[in-house]
Amino acid sequence: MKVVVTGIGIVSAIGNNVAANETQLKLQKSGIDKAKNFKSRYTNSLNFGEVRLSDSELKKILHITKKGYCRTALLATMAFKEAINHSKLTKSEIESYRTGFISSSTVGGMCNTDELYADANMKGEPSEFIKTYGGGEHTLQLIKDFNIKGFTSTINTACSSSANAIMLGCRLIKAGRLDRVIVGGSDSLSKFSVNGFNSLMILSKEPCKPFDENRDGLTLGEGSGYLVLERSDIAKNKKPLAEVIGYGNSNDAFHPSATSNEAFGPTLAMQRAIESTGIKKLNIDYINAHGTGTPNNDITELFAFNKIFSKIPPYNSTKSYTGHTLAAAGAIESIFSILSMKNNELYPSLNCLNPITKFNNPPIKKKTNITIDTVMSNSFGFGGNCTSIIFSKIK
Amino acid sequence: MFITDLSAISPQLTYNENFLLGDKKSYESTVFNAIEPDYTELIPRNLLRRMGKAVRIGIGTGTPLINKNSELDGIIIGTANGGLEDCIRFLNQIIEYNEGTLTPTNFVQSTPNAIAGQLALIGKNRGYNITYTNGGTSFENAILDGILLFNEGNNKKLLIGGIEEISEYNYNIDSLSNKFKKETIKDSKLLESNTPGTICGEGAALFVVENESNNYYAQIKDVAQITYPSIEDLRECLTEMLERNNLKSTDIDSIMLGYNGDINHNHWYEYIENKIFKKSNSFTFKNLIGDYRTCSAFATWLSSHIINGEKKILKHISRRINNKNTPKNILIYNHFDTVRHGFILLSK
Amino acid sequence: MGKTREEIKVELKKHIVEYLNLLDIKPEEIEDDQPLFGPDLGLDSIDSVELIVLLDREYGLKINNPTEGRAILVDVNTIVDYILENK
Repeated sequence: MKVVVTGIGIVSAIGNNVAANETQLKLQKSGIDKAKNFKSRYTNSLNFGEVRLSDSELKKILHITKKGYCRTALLATMAFKEAINHSKLTKSEIESYRTGFISSSTVGGMCNTDELYADANMKGEPSEFIKTYGGGEHTLQLIKDFNIKGFTSTINTACSSSANAIMLGCRLIKAGRLDRVIVGGSDSLSKFSVNGFNSLMILSKEPCKPFDENRDGLTLGEGSGYLVLERSDIAKNKKPLAEVIGYGNSNDAFHPSATSNEAFGPTLAMQRAIESTGIKKLNIDYINAHGTGTPNNDITELFAFNKIFSKIPPYNSTKSYTGHTLAAAGAIESIFSILSMKNNELYPSLNCLNPITKFNNPPIKKKTNITIDTVMSNSFGFGGNCTSIIFSKIK
Repeated sequence: MFITDLSAISPQLTYNENFLLGDKKSYESTVFNAIEPDYTELIPRNLLRRMGKAVRIGIGTGTPLINKNSELDGIIIGTANGGLEDCIRFLNQIIEYNEGTLTPTNFVQSTPNAIAGQLALIGKNRGYNITYTNGGTSFENAILDGILLFNEGNNKKLLIGGIEEISEYNYNIDSLSNKFKKETIKDSKLLESNTPGTICGEGAALFVVENESNNYYAQIKDVAQITYPSIEDLRECLTEMLERNNLKSTDIDSIMLGYNGDINHNHWYEYIENKIFKKSNSFTFKNLIGDYRTCSAFATWLSSHIINGEKKILKHISRRINNKNTPKNILIYNHFDTVRHGFILLSK
Repeated sequence: MGKTREEIKVELKKHIVEYLNLLDIKPEEIEDDQPLFGPDLGLDSIDSVELIVLLDREYGLKINNPTEGRAILVDVNTIVDYILENK
């Protein structure tokens, strides 16, 4: 049985829908810049991958008038709607017991940092967000708005969250528990995440430089991505974008916020993903790397590539376009991988002027056209959570 | 899925044998706090020094299971909120130091996957590892994932569990949305209180589950969940699960219900108890531990021991007894705040 | 009059134990030249950032990145040197 991708939806720093994101990738234009909507002490001193829509603009586009929608939920609704429309799901399909929904977020409703501070410390009347701080609350809002009745879940494995949502979705379809499932994640810029990563001193002052010798940290982004996965036989009348052919998950079991020098977790996640395809001598044409731009991530990820591949496939970090969108990264970057495959185009990794010297294997330097049949997307997170997903063209 | 080992830290003396031997703690309070063991022999002090309560009770419950059970293939944790205390402490720092230089430990410990991550670290376990943060059905998510992994055939032995902590802050937040009773209440009076709200509890219950075993406490046969259901939706969800397992409602000799003393929540449990399983024994568990989003993990711990023949605890939890034999199967039904509903089916 | 080197040392050790929540270690047990990131204390990269926070909050000294921190946060002596030089 095959699991195919029949719909995709994105909102990120490089666009409010899939087409806009695709255009920016082709133009090789980063969305990382100074923030306009995000208010923080660091608004002017740091760069961000900010979605160029304010909360009120998002609400207007989405026709949301109810209270209690945090930015995480608004971004999720944007991408979710695009994905289900793209897949042309009917109301009855969405509401079927055989349709599931698996979302993910790290900050969830805590993006309303100031309101949460007041509510948690009981300063004044409860805010409109009082019931929406939990990581699984944006999932509930979508469940309610779209009347989803089937299996639902929310995952938080930090920066690999939505990659795990894709993996779980495939497994549920393959196990016969579901016919289709909408999978992905959402995270918005927040004082909570920005100060969290800043306290670990892993935010770059400049736009992130993944795989550069002089990289000095990541750039936080925000966004949301969802994919509609369907059992291939019920999607017969659709033109699926890709097939999910493999996935692998591992824990690095080394440190709460750093990857081991031996890159145990990343290596195992990729190896398990490759093995799970059941294809001998699988050829991977392109890797969308985790590539955060921190000194620790990029060297360990390259180390893992070197261990696994006799010849490392072309790779880039599209975080150089969007910033690190945390829980949404796995879904957004899976969609970028699928777009690369659809267009047979490799997009350059930006800001890598002096590639890491230890390995003579720089990321993609310029836009190139090659045949891309198989792609792998990597997502590694705090807590050692590593996941890799492999997609192929529909054969 | 066979439960071959289990452990719980809860407001009862569940970490050692005292609770099963009949020693029940009584409370008259607005919260039921977990009784924590001395961790010094258990958790490396270099890790312990940083841990907030959710991480501590999770690791404290899981570490002995990891030590006793080598060859674990993976770790699956359900926790709606993870280390909320650390989370809000970090948030307080953000506001109080005006986003200045902040200590990262609270941030790192606050992420819900810190528990599964540190269990992996302690057990040097590089297998499958995931954390579900799906509110009131986070533990149900974890069970289903385990069932799938066993059916897929690559895993034989997993650690799964549900963990939640009470912090002053989540207590405040849930209080502001009227989840808890305003008055202190005796645990023995909780379920018949006839007032809105429940009592806040906390705890960790972890299980070693295997796909094959001859020596086990209980089997988890299946799990089902539904969100924002109508009564008809709930019945359909349950019927589908029973049919999947070739069971009729009369085959279920006992049910474990999430009655929590909230007058606005009772009718869901009453429906299951009196309309669907009229003849079954019924048990309760929140009078022991209070209510929290992953409390069905504790209900699973309790039910496993009942199926395994533990008798001394029955007097504290029996609501309706029609059959005095040791239950052959127990269906756990629980919902949190009437939103997310879950069923867990256990059998001998 | 500023504090003497000895006074700063005693105070710093107390802060280290407090900030890093070192269980079962008394401030006076930390030797002046004991490597902080060696096997005895078992500190890691998160602790190095905690120590940077300590220097900021207690002494008003700002270290901007972990690399700069590495040379300063060797042992109690090197941190005291840094405090005295920059105070």
